[in-house]
Amino acid sequence: MLRRLFTSTVARLVAAIFVLQLASGAVALALLHSQMLQVIASDRTRQILDVRDDLLAAYYEGGREGLTEFIAARRGSTVDPLIFVAVSGSGPPQLVHLAQVPAVSAGPRPAPVAVVPAPGAEPLDGLAIATDLSDGTRLVVGALTAPDRRFDLAFAEAITVTVLLTIGLALGGALFVGFMISRRTHAIAATAQALAAGDFAARVHNEDHGDGFDHLRQQMNFMAERIDRLVRELQSMAGALAHDLRSPVARLTASIETAHAAVPEGPAAEALQLALSDAAALETMIATALELARLDSGTIGDRRTRLDLAEIAVDLIELYEPLAEQTRTTLAVAAPRPVMALADRELVSRAVANLIDNALKYGGDHIALAVRREGPWAVIEVADNGPGIAESDRARAMDRFSRLDNARTRPGAGLGLAMVSAVAQLHGGTFELAQASGGEGGAGGLLARFRIPGA
Amino acid sequence: MSGRILVVEDDDRLADYIAHGLTEQNYTVDRATNGRDGLFLATDSEFDAVILDRMLPGMDGLAVLKAMRAAEVATPVIILSALGDTDHRVEGLTAGADDYLGKPFSFAELLARVHALQRRSTGAAQAQAQVLRCGDLELDRLTRQVRRGARKIVTQPREFRLLEYLMLHAGEVVTRTMLLEAVWDYHFDPGTNVIDVHISRLRRKIDDGEGGDLLHTVRGAGYRLAAD
Repeated sequence: MLRRLFTSTVARLVAAIFVLQLASGAVALALLHSQMLQVIASDRTRQILDVRDDLLAAYYEGGREGLTEFIAARRGSTVDPLIFVAVSGSGPPQLVHLAQVPAVSAGPRPAPVAVVPAPGAEPLDGLAIATDLSDGTRLVVGALTAPDRRFDLAFAEAITVTVLLTIGLALGGALFVGFMISRRTHAIAATAQALAAGDFAARVHNEDHGDGFDHLRQQMNFMAERIDRLVRELQSMAGALAHDLRSPVARLTASIETAHAAVPEGPAAEALQLALSDAAALETMIATALELARLDSGTIGDRRTRLDLAEIAVDLIELYEPLAEQTRTTLAVAAPRPVMALADRELVSRAVANLIDNALKYGGDHIALAVRREGPWAVIEVADNGPGIAESDRARAMDRFSRLDNARTRPGAGLGLAMVSAVAQLHGGTFELAQASGGEGGAGGLLARFRIPGA
Repeated sequence: MSGRILVVEDDDRLADYIAHGLTEQNYTVDRATNGRDGLFLATDSEFDAVILDRMLPGMDGLAVLKAMRAAEVATPVIILSALGDTDHRVEGLTAGADDYLGKPFSFAELLARVHALQRRSTGAAQAQAQVLRCGDLELDRLTRQVRRGARKIVTQPREFRLLEYLMLHAGEVVTRTMLLEAVWDYHFDPGTNVIDVHISRLRRKIDDGEGGDLLHTVRGAGYRLAAD
């Protein structure tokens, strides 16, 4: 089940869509993150440069005292607790928001530096720029970047929420796409199934979006159209053939009957009687061959109803029982409980009648019918204690018009077992021949198993 | 029995054969070789029965039948068809046919069915009767008892239905196919002489040890229950 899920095309597609969506989300977030960091960093730099320019202005105006005064008055940006300033040179350094002068070399751009904001405190990350003034004073202006970490934290939180949302949406989207594809392909498959089952009027609902599915639908409908036409042609041909073959046979029968009625009892009448039964056999053969062709093409109308196969078997046993008695054959049936199946009564009866008739003709003196449920299958078995059919001949026994040597001397059209097989297939079942196990009937003969889905 | 029958069949030899046989049985036969003429005749004059081929040039047999029924012509119709399978049979019967006979058929089969149809339209009273009689044979459909004279005859359910059908058609020829369809509801040939054996079993029960036989075999056709 799990293996099937992993190898399923739709599951793979869903997984691929999911992973791609997730990856694109992650890339977008990473880009956003670095962009934001850049913006924040350039903000800090500008802020630092602004403060330094203010201080330099105070210095140029009032010299070292002016600068000291400006800083002491905490004017301008120096009130910002994140901004630190150090003025060093002659005498003790003047520090704002600092415990010691940060070690930074003079340069045109702020550089990362470790900052000790209060005595004994852990150094924090900061950015600072150092400017050497003409009187030997060194002005260091910087900003703490530690709060940017908070941004990182907030960002991480946002990322978590975003990732969760992305996972949810990506999964939902992927499943939706998977569902849509599944539904469309299933709709197409359902039509193919209907076609295979012989409903040649089945068509896929056509939409025109110009995608691959539409192409598939279109081609499917073209194919269905063609099959439909071919089958209809075949049917009308079969109908014409039936007409063409049957009418001469009807006339043949008619002429023989007329002659038969006109001649007195005697050798001529007997010969005519034989001709009559041959004509009847010919008629049966044509009828069965045509029926078989129709069964094979799956064009037979659906007359299936829910019915009890046990009842069908018992009815047939009742039909054949007097005949069996006359030929001193025992005809037993084991159908203890109802075995329901969706079946065409006429066809299934005919198939089973065929099996019983065969067993009566070739099958020794004991015939046993069994009807039972085997898992999902409804099974009818006809076993006899006759000579059976050698394993190598069994497949051939079900061929049309093939008659096994030992049966060649007896009447029959040779379509019997092929017809049974066709009926089983039409019901979505199987028909097979095997060696009967024997048991109460003595030596095992032929076992015919007719199996269709139960209901 | 006699009457007037319309035969609509495009195969001349088969039509000849049917017409010839029916004329011998004292029927008056009208013929048409295509659907249009057939429909015209069927709606224009009174017939006791119409024998209608299913595949006809010009107008299909089923179309003729539907047009007849639409014109409220209630004449019994037997469809003859090379398409003898159940699907087509059902299609024919729902279109308003009274019987459906697959080609090829024997004339005896057709004649038996024509008789049965004629009887059905005239002898509806008997179909309702509780007790059926034929000579000294008596069948009570309510108590399901059968007796011949004073002798009680025990029948199995299917034998009872077989006898009931024969008695409902007493005096007529009943074919094996008719029995299979009416008593067993099978529309296929179960092979060998299945029906013959059922009949001889029934015959032993009703005729053995009696003065006159009631259940007769009609050579090449079927059976007839009659007290003659």
